[in-house]
Amino acid sequence: MWRRLFRKPSDADLAEELEAHLAIETKQWMDRGLPREQAELQARRLFGSRALTLEATREVRGIAAFGRFSQDLRYAARVLRRSPAFTAAAVLSLALGIGVSTAIFSIADTIFLRPQPYRDAAQLTWVAIRFPDNNAEFLPSPDYVAWRHDNQAFEQLAATGFNGTMVLGGPSPAEVRGARVSANFLDAFAITPAAGRSFNTQEELPNGPKAVLLTDHVWRDRFQSRRDILGSSIPLDGQPYTVIGILPPSFAFPLDTRIDLLTTLPVSPTANHRDRSMFTWSVFGRLKPGVTMVEARADLDRLFANTVADFPQLFHADNHPVLESLRDHRAGRIRIAMFLLMGAAAFLLAIACANVANLLLARWSARGRELAVRAAIGAGRGRLARQLFTEIALLIAAGTLVALLLMAVALRAFVHFAAAALPRLSEVTTDFRVFGIALLVSLVTALLFGGLPALRAGRVDPQSVLRRGAAPVGHRFLRHTLVTVEVALSVILLSGAALLFQTLWHLQNDHLGFQPEHLLTVTIPLRGPDRQPAARNALIVSTLAELRRIPGTEAGALTECTPMSGGSMSITFSRSDRPLPEPFHRGDSISLCGVGPDYFLAAGSRTVQGRFFTDEDFHHLDTLAVINEAAARAYFPGESALGKEILGGRAAAFRTVVGVIADSKNQGLNRPAAPQAFIDNPVLGGAGDLLFLVRGAAPEGAVARVLRAAHPHLFSKVETLDQAIGQMTATPRFNTVLLSAFAGIAFLMAMVGVYGVLAFSVTQRRAEIGIRMALGVSPRAVLALVMREGALLVAAGALAGIAGALILTRSLATLLYGVEATDPRTYAAVVAMLVFAALTASFLPARKAAVVDPVVTLRHE
Amino acid sequence: MPDRIDLMQGTLDLLILQVLQWGPEHGHGIGQAIRRRSQEVLQVEHGSLYPALHRLEQKGWVASDWKMSEANRRARYYKLTPKGKRQLLQEQSRWRQLVRAVARTMKPVKE
Repeated sequence: MWRRLFRKPSDADLAEELEAHLAIETKQWMDRGLPREQAELQARRLFGSRALTLEATREVRGIAAFGRFSQDLRYAARVLRRSPAFTAAAVLSLALGIGVSTAIFSIADTIFLRPQPYRDAAQLTWVAIRFPDNNAEFLPSPDYVAWRHDNQAFEQLAATGFNGTMVLGGPSPAEVRGARVSANFLDAFAITPAAGRSFNTQEELPNGPKAVLLTDHVWRDRFQSRRDILGSSIPLDGQPYTVIGILPPSFAFPLDTRIDLLTTLPVSPTANHRDRSMFTWSVFGRLKPGVTMVEARADLDRLFANTVADFPQLFHADNHPVLESLRDHRAGRIRIAMFLLMGAAAFLLAIACANVANLLLARWSARGRELAVRAAIGAGRGRLARQLFTEIALLIAAGTLVALLLMAVALRAFVHFAAAALPRLSEVTTDFRVFGIALLVSLVTALLFGGLPALRAGRVDPQSVLRRGAAPVGHRFLRHTLVTVEVALSVILLSGAALLFQTLWHLQNDHLGFQPEHLLTVTIPLRGPDRQPAARNALIVSTLAELRRIPGTEAGALTECTPMSGGSMSITFSRSDRPLPEPFHRGDSISLCGVGPDYFLAAGSRTVQGRFFTDEDFHHLDTLAVINEAAARAYFPGESALGKEILGGRAAAFRTVVGVIADSKNQGLNRPAAPQAFIDNPVLGGAGDLLFLVRGAAPEGAVARVLRAAHPHLFSKVETLDQAIGQMTATPRFNTVLLSAFAGIAFLMAMVGVYGVLAFSVTQRRAEIGIRMALGVSPRAVLALVMREGALLVAAGALAGIAGALILTRSLATLLYGVEATDPRTYAAVVAMLVFAALTASFLPARKAAVVDPVVTLRHE
Repeated sequence: MPDRIDLMQGTLDLLILQVLQWGPEHGHGIGQAIRRRSQEVLQVEHGSLYPALHRLEQKGWVASDWKMSEANRRARYYKLTPKGKRQLLQEQSRWRQLVRAVARTMKPVKE
């Protein structure tokens, strides 16, 4: 039936047709009187080559298309197996190019382009006031309350703040990450709880009922998916909270931090700029249907004008309202790093393609003779081209297969390493559209550089090739250009990687201003009755005693800051011998950190001038100050700070400076130290959580066990400063590792390119070199001849690469620390490395040329 | 036997269609018919005839069927399709034009 429909005769059909032809011819001869045997012979003779007819007819019908294809495939596989170096290089280049670029673009696609997990996500926006001084965007609580009330553009304005740890009480207290949100938060994001209800407006009032929404994973892990948890009360930070609902499993917090539960912010309807305490919140808005971003921005400008008019002291001229789509906001924090990676991936793909093109060009050139021979013994032009294309197809297929493997590995590794640095990574999957594009790019490259010569090879006149004996097509210029481009691109990648590498080095090895080894922080959140002064003091005394009892402890101190943080508050600098600053004056800020006895000993600080606090100083709390060098530079230029009275005035008494210590990285690793003053009062900022700094030999686990045994009802978190540093360098380390990997691969491919071109050039110039040597040119000179060719390629590529790098690495500036984007030493190092590798890559073919035996080469021709 | 002439490209198709005008015929018969009607001048190579037949079938100008032949066994018989008939008419007129044009060109020019 099938055959009838499509009338596709099989081989057997065709054979039978020709058999019938012969039978009729035989019969005709027999009719003329020939005996059967002779008649058959005659018929065969007259028919000519049956095989040829069969083949020619098959060709027409494409009957044997598959058979021929498999034959070509087998042949191609054999040819490729015969030159494993070429095959490996081409397949690996393709795989790296396609695999890595697809992985990176898949991630970028997920982060930038995929729909967000919220209904009508296009309506969601980030709303804030930008404070360039602090490099921060937020909305002060009074403005949130006013804007929520007065705006015309938003259906909802939802706030969140205080994302931090809370202690979930019970038989085994645990730390959970809670986010505080305004009551309308779930409405703004159009999220319905999987069970229970959302917050009501009563619950966001400062003294309203305490309610909590559990995320799905906490409900499952900590409450064993118990339904009866709804409506019951759980102890959070020592206070009872009513569980009012459970969030759906799909819930994603828009700030891309992992959170365990939601509770409410204290949103006071009467919040005012003149309040003593103000909060800074992150605010998200859902635009009313039909309201454009432009209209919403105008609305915000109006609201901001009212805010400034209400309390001008708080704002500077450079403060301005910010409105951006939620997508832009979420992508924004990692945009530069992501663009960097996307650029690197695109470069890698380009280099891979150039490499494949080069390999193919060289290969076809070298095979000119083989192709000519095959044409001479009767291979049709079409057949020849088909075979070459089959080879390309096979290469691409193999490359694609390896690419798929590589991609899976790359994505998994990426998610593993980048979980901290990139948001929404859990949503990443391979993007097969991107895969298709990368595949297409390499396919086009392979067809262009492999296919055109293949077609030309089909047209080659076998005679001329065989007579000359040389390869018919050189593509010398094209191949040199390709290698130059490869070298240039890899110089760009190498420079970028080198700059990031130095940044990482600076981050990890710059003088921290303290000794991070054997330094632990112990945090004990105090809740409920433990906050009462008497209980608190008792706890401080006993904890310090326990910490100091642990074998190996050198010093332990109660403090409000660590060497890597600023302190409990930041105030405006003042001194007794100068006029007091205006109230709400901004600028001239200094961080205050209240410290207990032994803090400087525990931190391993270094005095520059004066002294640390002594135990006697703590008999009169809050009278002295030790400042850091940054503060001394900023506020006592050209004079000694010792003995000066600072940081007092209307509310507090002045403190006398007794010492200046070396700066520590109190704003994080990638920022210079900020002015800071240490005050001899560990409870300066009020009765908050307890923080101890401990220098000692005991591992953090042992310390935690001791504390747990002494205070079973308390949760305490023990961390090493090294861990904190590790977390701070996670993102730069990740960028560096990735870009270095890219640069390394690109570099290798470029060197393979240089080697390939030179090796090929030597093969082609064998005769010329043979003649030169026969005429008396020394092997040394031949070596130099080939090396010169390589040096030229690399020099051109390196120059172009450095020019490109100088332009492109400028966009890296924000990721760099401790090194300039134009750092000449970096570029010199990159070029030196490249030149060394290139000379090695050219030396091998050059030596091959130098040991050419003139007699052999000349006879070979 | 007179000198044989190689067929011009495309002419074979025309001849095959022409032969099939008179009714279905198998490959052998078509070859023989061309030879006879050209009085043994045109010799069709089998290596060209069969590919041509299959090509014409693919174009839909001829159709084929297995029938018993005079040799007492199955043979593939080709016949003209309506599309083939239209093609034949076109080819014929084109051929006549070509012949006239060539003839005019070949006529000795009077001085």
